[in-house]
This record gives sequence, C-alpha cells and structure tokens, in this order.
Amino acid sequence: MNNKLVLELVNLTKKFIGFTLGPLNLKVDDNEILVLIGPTGSGKTTVLNLIAGLLKPDEGSIFIDELDMTNLPVETRNIGYTFQNPGLFPHLNVYENIVFGLTKKGRKDNHLQVTRLINDLGISRLTNRRIQGLSGGEMQKVSLARMLVTKPKIMLMDEPLAHLDTSTRRRLRLELRRVLQSQSIPTIYVTHFEDDVYALSDSVSILQNGMIENKGKLESILANSNPSPFLSNIFGEVNYLEGNVVHSKEEITTFKIGSHLLQTLGDYSVGSKVGILVRPEDIILSKEVVKTSARNVLKAKVTSITKHSKSGIADIHLTIDKFRITSRITEESIRDLGIKEDDCIFAIFKASSPQVVREEYS
Amino acid sequence: MGIKHQGFNVIILILSGIAVAYIAYPLTTILTFVEPSKLLDSLTRPQVLNAFVLSLISATISTLFLSLFGIPLAYFLARHINFPGKFIFRLIIIIPLVLPPLASGALLLGVFGPYSPLSKAFPSVEFTQSIVGVIIAQTYVASPFMILASQAAFESVDESYEKIARVLGKTRLETFFKISLPLAKTGIILGVIMSWVRAVGELGATMMMTYNPHTISIQIFEDNAIGGLSQAVPAIVLVILLSIIAIIVFYITTKKGRHDMLKFLGSEQ
Repeated sequence: MNNKLVLELVNLTKKFIGFTLGPLNLKVDDNEILVLIGPTGSGKTTVLNLIAGLLKPDEGSIFIDELDMTNLPVETRNIGYTFQNPGLFPHLNVYENIVFGLTKKGRKDNHLQVTRLINDLGISRLTNRRIQGLSGGEMQKVSLARMLVTKPKIMLMDEPLAHLDTSTRRRLRLELRRVLQSQSIPTIYVTHFEDDVYALSDSVSILQNGMIENKGKLESILANSNPSPFLSNIFGEVNYLEGNVVHSKEEITTFKIGSHLLQTLGDYSVGSKVGILVRPEDIILSKEVVKTSARNVLKAKVTSITKHSKSGIADIHLTIDKFRITSRITEESIRDLGIKEDDCIFAIFKASSPQVVREEYS
Repeated sequence: MGIKHQGFNVIILILSGIAVAYIAYPLTTILTFVEPSKLLDSLTRPQVLNAFVLSLISATISTLFLSLFGIPLAYFLARHINFPGKFIFRLIIIIPLVLPPLASGALLLGVFGPYSPLSKAFPSVEFTQSIVGVIIAQTYVASPFMILASQAAFESVDESYEKIARVLGKTRLETFFKISLPLAKTGIILGVIMSWVRAVGELGATMMMTYNPHTISIQIFEDNAIGGLSQAVPAIVLVILLSIIAIIVFYITTKKGRHDMLKFLGSEQ
C-alpha cells in the first residue's frame, strides 16, 4: 500500500480558558476517510477549525501536501468544510450556491464536472430552486456539492447529518461514502454517533478531553479483543458485521461472513462488500440448532458475560470468526439456558433486523 | 379567562388606535390651512422650489458620505464584538442622536466656523453659509441613523456564511461584497433612507451652520415666522410627499417590502 500523506498535524495545540486541545499528532492519507469520534466538548470541532484556518493554533504545525499551512489565511488553503448547519447562502439559488467557490473561468472550464457531480448527488432537479424550500437532506447535498466542486485537497465534515431524521441520515451516509470515494478526496468526518464510524470510516480516531486516545483502521479497532473501557463505551451499542454479497433477488440479499451465509432485506450488487449493523436486543440465543423463521443463525462462542446493574439485563459477548458481537438478553434467560463463558451457542436474528450502512464495490 | 383575554385585546386596540390617530390626524389638517386653488401657485414659488432642490442635493450628498464611511464602521462594530473601548465607541456614535440639533450645530461651528483652525487652513473653502455647511450639518445629525441601522443589519447576518465563503476561497473583501452586504441589504437600505429623510428634515444644526441658502426646513421655518402657517404649507406638503416617496422606495427596493406591499394591495382589492 503506497498511500500518499495529505494532511499531517504536528503537536497542534490550542488553549482556551479551562480547556486545552492537544498536543495533537494526526495523519490522513490520500483517499482515506478518517472518522474522528468523541463526546461533546472533546474538541472535535476545534480540530477542524484549526485545520481550516478559522482558528489559529497556539503551538504546532499543519501540513497539507507537505506544505506548512499553519499561518496561511483560510481562503488560500483549498479545504472543503461542511457544518451541521448546511449554511447555504439564502440570497442565491441552488446552482449559484454550488458554483460560488468557482471563478467565472472556473465555472466555464468545469461545467461538465459540476453537472456530473450534481447528477451524481441526485440534485439536478433542484438547481434552479431557491434554497428556502429544500429539505434538510437536500440542503446537505447542495452544501457538499458546493465544497466538492472546488476540488479541495481535504474535506472536513462536522456532523453534517446530525440534524437529519434517522432514515434520511441512513440513506445519505451510504451516498456520502460512495461520493467521497468516487471523488478521491481524503476526509475527516467528525461525529459522536457510533453508526457513522461503521458507515463511513477507513480509519478511526477517538478524541477525549482534547487528546487523541486511539487511532487505527476500523478493522483493527473492531478486532481488538481487549478494548479499553472508553473504547467499549463508544463501540458496543450496536454490532457491526461485514461480508461479501453472493446473491441478491427480490429485495433479499445473501452475503457471506467467513463460513456463514447471512440474509438482509434490500437489493445489493453481487460481489460488493456490505456492512450491517444489528442491535444487541435483536439477537436471540439458542443452545441448540432450532428450526426457525429467522434467516440468520450463526454459530458463536461466548467470550464474556456483562451484567447490567439492577436492570436484570445482561450482554453476552460472542465471537464469530473474526467478528465480535453482543446479544442482550435477560439474566433469567441466561439462567434458563445455562449460558457460561466458552460455551458454543447459536446467535439468531431476522433478515429484517440488520441495517445496511455500507456498500463497497471491489 | 376568555373575558380577561378579550379585555386585554380591547385595551391594546384602543391604545394603538389613539397612537395611530395622533400620528395621522395632523396630516389631514395641514391642507385646511390653505385654499387648494392657491396651493399649486404657492408650490411653484421660486424660494420654495430652490430650497427643495437644495435639500434634495445636499441630503443625497450627505447620504453618500454616510454610506462611504458609516457602512464600513457599522460592519466593524458588528463583527468586532469585544474590542477594548467599544462602549465609548458606541456612545460617541449616538451623540448626534441624543444632542439637541442646535447644540450639534454649535459644536460643528467650533470646528468649521469662520475663526476655526480648519477655516484658516482652507481659506478658499466656505464651510458655513454655503451648501458645504448644509452637507456637514446633515451628515453629522443623520449619521446615527445610517450606522445603527447598518450595524443591526450586519449583526443579523449569521457569521457562519462569511466563514463558509472564506473556506470557499473568497477574500475578506470578496466575502463582504458577495455575502455580508447582500444579506444585510434590507437593513442598510432602511439606514440609507432614514438618514436621507433625516438629512432633508434637518433644521437646527443646519441653521447654525448655514441659514442662507435656505434648505426646505429653513424655508418652512421662515415662511411660518413671516406669513404664518398658511404660507408654510406648500413647503410642508412637499416634505410630506417626499417622505411618502421615501417609504415607497424602501418598499420597492427590498424583497420583504415588495412582499408586504403586494399583500397590502391585494387585500385592498
């Protein structure tokens, strides 16, 4: 893998009254989507503002394509930045918003690329519309297009989907990763939603109290058999599984994870890799093979049992090939089934339970 | 509960009605001071027309000066919230608003009067008793209207729009002209019109700086002093017409204004 380094933060520090961000060291490669996750107030937005040049660091340096950008003005950095609020200019229509960052010559020279991007994002019917009547999802797409047409060296995205309703967010996330990959633009995506990590990231950085606690590829974080309490706290509310589509017909897709075949609703391209999320509450356990209407039955091994205090609920942590998943059942069920660590067990969930958050073509 | 609620509405309605009547009633009575047939003759009196034209020209020049200096100042005040001495800055800006116009005129005489250092430095420029004096007085007195209205307009523009424009490669200057100014347009136009109307109506400071040539306000003052209210009515009618035109201009130059006006006309049909 010969990835080119695009962004490098070296000992980047910003001090506020009562809070210090950094010193941060971070690298983002060409075509990489880095998801920066952390609790509210951990300094995520400050990191983006420093990279964009909207804030000046107290110490440290920012390199983009090996050039020191630390003290350059915002407008010369060629960075894309989308916010929670799409911030579309209210006095311009959709098309005028999209081409705002281009010069007159740039608009002429890049007309084809702009049109292609608009089509790719599915907003061609909106171009002559005023922005006031757009939905939240449409606004975010226009905001994304406005940044992408300037061909930024790196995209910064500050929870752009946070204010959208759940179904729009799910749909847009799938599109977002596809568009960012097709445009080959490295991205830092800030979020506090675990789902966004699975849906978008190539790598993940965890920011807590102004410091990067962990950085790594998504697979290595998921494969970590001994996660820190902080990591467990962030990753653990949903199960993420990834596999290759082997069959898809009439809204039922079959994909393969290790030696297991799983089914989910929806049509996805054969050969593509899909990532699914399954809620721990949706996974039931059985000690024996049972004939069931649920389409997914996986042989798993119990690695640990975590009891929730006083609620009568417990999390059963399981391994299935390289994946770790969690089933949430009652303590009474554990007693009835006699589940204990190292048991072999069957994890069962319906085809309608998973939510597909990622689809990639090889 | 319902009766109490209705009672409140009735009180608000009565008080509002009295306020509107208080403002509108004098407009209807002014025409009773002169016979309609003589009004047109009086309107075309050279003194009235000359004063009217002088006021239009001087108020327009004053407003141009105010736009040139006042709009950048308003932007500075709106965007630099916490600079040291901002409170003093704000106080200075509203001085012409709270000071009696005659006192403002006296202060200006201290700077531009015949024996002031400035007059001695530029002996060929007639700072007083000339259109220059009128413009100086009008600019001074009307300045808070331009600055405060524009400042409020810039403050209402979300700063994130400016940040996004900068991220998209626009310089501060380009951002100002392409984002800040267009988005603050309605408030700025209001400031321009208010300061222009204030400049046209200015009397006290102008009298101190320049009694002759007469502005329309000085003409009204003199006509009333010499010939009573009936002689002053033509000039007053012109000023009222001008104010109505200014309101119409505001409405047709702003999107919201146009919308409100169309709604009003629609409801009249």
